[in-house]
Amino acid sequence: MKIGYKLQDKFDLVVFVTVIILLTVGIFSIYSATYNNPAAKGNLNKQIFFIMASLIILFFVYFLPASSFRIVSLPSYIISLLMLIVVLVAGKTIYGAKSWMSIGGFGFQPSEFAKIGLILFPAYWLSDSRRDINNLKELFYTVLIGLIPIMLIMLEPDMGTAIVFGIVSLVMIFWSGLNLFGIFVVLSPMFVLFASLFGTGPFIFALIVVLAMLFYFKQNLFISGTVFVINLSAGFVFDFMLKFLKPHQVKRLLTFIDPGSDPLGSGYNALQAKVAMGSGGLLGKGFLQGNQTQLRFIPEQWTDFIFCVIGEEFGFIGSMFVIVIFLILFLRLLNLTSIAGDKFGRLTIIGILTLLFVHYSINIGMDLGIAPVIGIPLPFISYGGSAILTDMFLIGVVLNIYKNRKHHV
Amino acid sequence: MNENYFGSALRRRLVFFVIAGMFVIQTFQLVNMQLLESTEYEKKSERNSIKTVSVKAPRGIIFDRNIEILVGNKPSFTLQIIPSEYEKKNTKIIENVLNVDSGYIDKLLFRYRKFPEFKPRTLMKGVSYKVIAWLEENQAELPGINYIVETKRDYSFGINASHVFGYTKEVDDKTLKKYKDIYSFGDEVGFSGIEKNYEKYLRGKKGKRFFVVNARQKIVSRYNNGKNDIPPVKGNDLVLSLDYKTQQIAEKLMQHNKGALIALQPETGEILAYVSAPQYDLSHFAGVTSSSVWDSLRNDKDKPLFNRGTISMYPPGSTFKMLIAIAALEEKTIRPGYTFNCKGGMQYGNRFFGCTHYHGVLNLKQAIEESCNAYFYNLVLKIGIDNIDKYSKKFHFGKKTGIDISPEANGLIPSREYYDRAFGKGKWTNGYLLNLGIGQGEIIITPVQLAQYTALLANNGKTKVPHFAKGYIESKTNEFFPFEFNEVNAAVSKKSFKVIHQAMKGVVSSEKGTAHNIELKNISICGKTGTAQNPHGKDHSIFIAYAPSENPQIAVVVIIENAGYGSSYAAPVAQKVILTYLENIESKRINLLNLKRDDVK
Repeated sequence: MKIGYKLQDKFDLVVFVTVIILLTVGIFSIYSATYNNPAAKGNLNKQIFFIMASLIILFFVYFLPASSFRIVSLPSYIISLLMLIVVLVAGKTIYGAKSWMSIGGFGFQPSEFAKIGLILFPAYWLSDSRRDINNLKELFYTVLIGLIPIMLIMLEPDMGTAIVFGIVSLVMIFWSGLNLFGIFVVLSPMFVLFASLFGTGPFIFALIVVLAMLFYFKQNLFISGTVFVINLSAGFVFDFMLKFLKPHQVKRLLTFIDPGSDPLGSGYNALQAKVAMGSGGLLGKGFLQGNQTQLRFIPEQWTDFIFCVIGEEFGFIGSMFVIVIFLILFLRLLNLTSIAGDKFGRLTIIGILTLLFVHYSINIGMDLGIAPVIGIPLPFISYGGSAILTDMFLIGVVLNIYKNRKHHV
Repeated sequence: MNENYFGSALRRRLVFFVIAGMFVIQTFQLVNMQLLESTEYEKKSERNSIKTVSVKAPRGIIFDRNIEILVGNKPSFTLQIIPSEYEKKNTKIIENVLNVDSGYIDKLLFRYRKFPEFKPRTLMKGVSYKVIAWLEENQAELPGINYIVETKRDYSFGINASHVFGYTKEVDDKTLKKYKDIYSFGDEVGFSGIEKNYEKYLRGKKGKRFFVVNARQKIVSRYNNGKNDIPPVKGNDLVLSLDYKTQQIAEKLMQHNKGALIALQPETGEILAYVSAPQYDLSHFAGVTSSSVWDSLRNDKDKPLFNRGTISMYPPGSTFKMLIAIAALEEKTIRPGYTFNCKGGMQYGNRFFGCTHYHGVLNLKQAIEESCNAYFYNLVLKIGIDNIDKYSKKFHFGKKTGIDISPEANGLIPSREYYDRAFGKGKWTNGYLLNLGIGQGEIIITPVQLAQYTALLANNGKTKVPHFAKGYIESKTNEFFPFEFNEVNAAVSKKSFKVIHQAMKGVVSSEKGTAHNIELKNISICGKTGTAQNPHGKDHSIFIAYAPSENPQIAVVVIIENAGYGSSYAAPVAQKVILTYLENIESKRINLLNLKRDDVK
């Protein structure tokens, strides 16, 4: 065992410093977004409290023994599932989704904490060297592990988080060494589902493409038949899904296509966010000077639309600064996947990277008008205790994996 | 570890491209939005959050010829209602406090339903301090009700002159549509008199106040601490030709009469005093005019709203005799020495046209002095209808004078065509003319026409369009700009005028003159009485005059309805007006073109 005496050797400063910068940006942004809103003034102090608490958690996680994450992976997954079931029964409905739970007057979102279980358990499951992901049965189980929490979250319904979870699961499965046929098996039902949205013609065409692909892969008849049936049924999922989508979510997805069509309806937020961003110009209007922000044109701006506070008050320079910091963090996390000591570590880090990256892309995409308005927070910057605690816990896991990269468990 | 699938390096490269690709897309979009299209978004953002509230400009002050204030401004509270914030449950209590009929608020909201919900509507003007105090106290329970301080007309300066000044009214929809950029709903606009005719000078320019509002259009603060606000520009002050003292006396003299009084400068046409009696109290029109005030004014049998000076038409009576005389002299029908024997009237055909007295033999001067009708019956037959028409036109009867208040009536001077049309060609005789000779019959004139006629007589056929406004004082620079009015001429020889002057002087100064009762020691007044027959009651008493005879400074017309002889009622009024003006004329003379700031109060 070799112990480095330099700090960077035990502690990844790149990840830690970028995260601290983003947290700081977040504090200033929330300060500005709530400055002229007496009702939300307390949110800044709460956020600072959560950041302090999450830093303690981060260092606690960092100092845990390397093996602890494997040990907690299954229990954390099961606890996550239980919480997601409990919230469906006893949760509080906020903005049309039953996603909040309250214990002793303290509200939190189980779907946020479920991220931990959803990343750690599949990583543990997939890193088992006896498992062959390219075995269709194994693949089916793996997909199921990802799909159960996703279904539960869709029942809330919180489409945004469900989409994020789905992408995280897919990328982790992909990363674990899925071959081309495996990728085809996972992705083809989505392709068929997407095609079915455009009518019967495209749906049949998609099925023909799937059939052609099955002939190309030359798998045995049973496997090919199973895959085809899965694809066929995928075509009818959309109608089934519509039952889960609330009208406001359907509307949100539709106004993504043309936010200008309904400027005072659900496209309003997206439009006002764009106006806030665009009017920032090169240098921005100055801290606390953004009229869009200060006049509360965008409701609840300290949560999902926090990035346009930066865009409006610090302009292009400020926006670029934030996305460059995120870029550095993401590239460093990608780099760490090859530095990590084992497959579990690599899969965990890629899961965390995917989670943060999808959140980031959709969130900022909303402000820039290139992503649908689905309410998911910007990591480290948006207000929200559950998200901060979870994200910082996961960063603690990354730092722990980095610290233990030379150990082989 | 089995890495024999898909290639781990490839996987990493793929993820790298996704991350880098997202960064490039976002950067591209940021450049687009924040650098290339930022001005467009900025405009949207400004429009989003800045609300412009226009601030009404105080109207210009109205001064008399010596810069004495006649009409000013005073602060006034205006209640406003904002439908988007207003709570209907308060309607009853507000209507109670304002002391208006129930349904008043609903009606108002309905009337302005097409305007944006968050725009304030005028609920009531000229609200008392008490109501404002009540509002201040209960502001929290009365969302959507607020007040602004505006100015309203102040008529407390001792002059009423209701028909001269006129009043303002809330702008109507038609005007609003026509002058979109000048008026917005709830604005006051001159509706009659000077306020209407000189609206564009008096109204001023509205200011703008910028407020920062939130997404619900609620005002958050002043924009840029009010540094960008555009203050309202007060209307230009108007300088009238009215003479404060003369006007005051005229109003007092006419206050228990019905009729009209117009005094003007013969040379300039500047009106020194103008009364249409009865007047109405302008202070009722300063704020909101209640419907009860309107009704009582409309139903008053004396018709106070009626501007007698320009719309009422009276027979000129004997004041018309000078025109007949001039026509006869000019057409050389007679010489001034021509005499006629009045036998208490004149027989024409089978009808006897009576005179007031048995005058005996008179020449022209005497005939005017003593107002002999018979002399003029004879004269009018000599000159004929066409000359009456011709000389009436020379003195601008039968058409609007163009005085700077409206409306104005034309009056009527019968002509050959008129009689042909009225009675049929050849079916009327010269007998119809006899009455015209003494200003009776079909002939009707307005007081302002009579005033213009008097000015022409006084100034040898030269005057200007009778008018009230001398000019305006530009509110920013305090510079005076005079208005120009057209000349009005009556092409008549000086010789003829001289005869008339002598005769009119005699009316007052001669022992037998019909207005000898008003003779003054130090001022020689030229005048002519008139008594206009009136089918509806007692005769109207008319008197026209000018003074001093050698250099006329003032011409006066007084018509008192249903009073009787001109000499006993109208003449003394005219005399006092003349006296007042001439006594004060020398003491005050302000050269308006060298007007200094201090002179303007």
